[in-house]
Amino acid sequence: MKKIEILKLESLSRAPMVVEGYLFEGSDPEAPSVAVVGAMEGGTILPLYSASRLVDFLHKKLGSEKILGNILVVPSVNHYALNINERFWPLDKTDINMMFPGYDLGETTQRIAHRLFEALQGYDYGVILETRSDLATCLPYVKIYKTGREDLESARAFGLKLIHLREPQSIETVSLQYNWQLWETKACSVMCPHETLVDLETFGVIFESLINYLSKNGIIRYDTFNGFDSTVVTRDRIEIVQSPNSGIFIPTKKPGTSVAKDEMIGKIVHALEGEIVHRFLAPCDGLITCCYKHSLIFENAVAYRIARRG
Amino acid sequence: MPIETTDIFTSQLPVGETLRIQRTRFRPETPVENAKRISIVSGIHGDELEGQLVIYLLAAWLREHPEALRGTVDIYPAVNSLGVDTIIRGFPLYEIDLNRAFPGARNDFLPAQVVHALAEDVEGSDIAVDIHSSNIFLREIPQIRINKEFSDSTFPLAKKLNCDFIWIHDAVTVLEATFSHTMNTRGTKTLVVEMGVGMRLTKAYGRQLLVGILNLMKSEGIIETVADYNVREPFTSEVGDVYYLNAPAGGLFVPALDHCDLITEGQWIGDIVDPLSGTVRASIHAPHGGILFTLREYPVVYEGSLLARIFGASDEEN
Repeated sequence: MKKIEILKLESLSRAPMVVEGYLFEGSDPEAPSVAVVGAMEGGTILPLYSASRLVDFLHKKLGSEKILGNILVVPSVNHYALNINERFWPLDKTDINMMFPGYDLGETTQRIAHRLFEALQGYDYGVILETRSDLATCLPYVKIYKTGREDLESARAFGLKLIHLREPQSIETVSLQYNWQLWETKACSVMCPHETLVDLETFGVIFESLINYLSKNGIIRYDTFNGFDSTVVTRDRIEIVQSPNSGIFIPTKKPGTSVAKDEMIGKIVHALEGEIVHRFLAPCDGLITCCYKHSLIFENAVAYRIARRG
Repeated sequence: MPIETTDIFTSQLPVGETLRIQRTRFRPETPVENAKRISIVSGIHGDELEGQLVIYLLAAWLREHPEALRGTVDIYPAVNSLGVDTIIRGFPLYEIDLNRAFPGARNDFLPAQVVHALAEDVEGSDIAVDIHSSNIFLREIPQIRINKEFSDSTFPLAKKLNCDFIWIHDAVTVLEATFSHTMNTRGTKTLVVEMGVGMRLTKAYGRQLLVGILNLMKSEGIIETVADYNVREPFTSEVGDVYYLNAPAGGLFVPALDHCDLITEGQWIGDIVDPLSGTVRASIHAPHGGILFTLREYPVVYEGSLLARIFGASDEEN
């Protein structure tokens, strides 16, 4: 394992931020290579933890002879935000994942994106560990933008239940995944639930999926257990459940749960008077993919997203 | 003169409060056939307050001169009303930049519903002006930003707004998620004003833009006044280039010049210093002569932080 410095940034009073990648050189020159990017935002605990545990797994457990293709893991790109629990770049609140492909003479986060993107060039596969940006937590799933270069086949190797395939929105044309695909890496994102404390069960699902992905794509040699035969879902199959009232949100079903039409999946309690003001019923048979992640919910907020069965 | 304040979007907040986005509409006492409608929008970013002052001045002017009104004037002072009242730039809790969430949708997450409601409400206006204050980091002279894609229709209007600079920029895909792109696409000629600095008011700029808006409204027949408005002849980005000065190092930026100064190539703009050691980390000099139309206001910088922008003759002419 080699530690490589991807970027170093000085601050007025804080110690410099040094972003490092962990490079594992493969034993088979013909084997494909992969880069894995962890936390680009603060508060993204599962991406950070999963990436760092992958470093440990590759370094200590797997052994170099079983690493066939080159593997680069960058567990964190935004230590400054993670260390103070800010979501975005702490000074100007810009999102590194909206700065790609970056610009070496531009603003701070454009430069961070540029230096990271340079380090990620030339890999056959790319995995980004992300969380949702919309106050929702989710079951672990794969998100792939439809760019004309998306590669569903390699994404199936994660063995996660769902692959969400969708057109990128205009603001997503500056994301890492979109640009990485354009630069001819088979890139996709593994969407991780929001956790403030690591949930080992969820982590286990994500970690197993990463190992499956590396193994089935011929990057490592390691016996794995098959995951799911992933279902590819598109936006038209997702039912949105909005909250008709505000108040205290009590979800009774979690993301990843199969539900039947009209089954109760959560409720809202009046924040001052304590009475139940709404009961959420599943609008269809399906699988809860996302759920609002705070206890206090606004009126009209998206409380659930459910992938319709059939 | 009928004056009506309407909630264009409401959402009950969890604990005993209602989020509301409001618009006030001013209409003439006697309806005028084919009169135009203008929408003045501000506070899409919660930390930008210059537009609040301009809209206040405009509303006060309309109240003082009800006889002048021929068309419809809609004002939306605080689109991100929660953010404006809490010094938060993005939509609170969601941390979403509303000006990257257009056109939004009714069945999407809450910030998208807010921008959807705004776009639906403004739709049908002949003209819209979206007032921004840069951010807390940079001070800007009053300027209009125009997307090249719509410049044929918006540039003539921009010249009437009494601003100092018109910056025509290339079409960028990511900017399709802005209010101005959405409204221009829907047929409302929409101009973006940037001026002053975040979290502060620059009274002179507020009065300057008020004169520009009155001038624009008069020329479009939305108001009828005896008074003529003398407006500035802006310089435009088509006759020169914009030069960016980004910090080569982190530290504390101490400017040596005032905003708006005319400067020459090589002139000292400021230093990035290290208070702990008493040393200068980098000394900043102008790469070109011109007008210093953007200057950093917030002194803490990282490598890459924007320090200044200069508008000057293009490289070829230099």
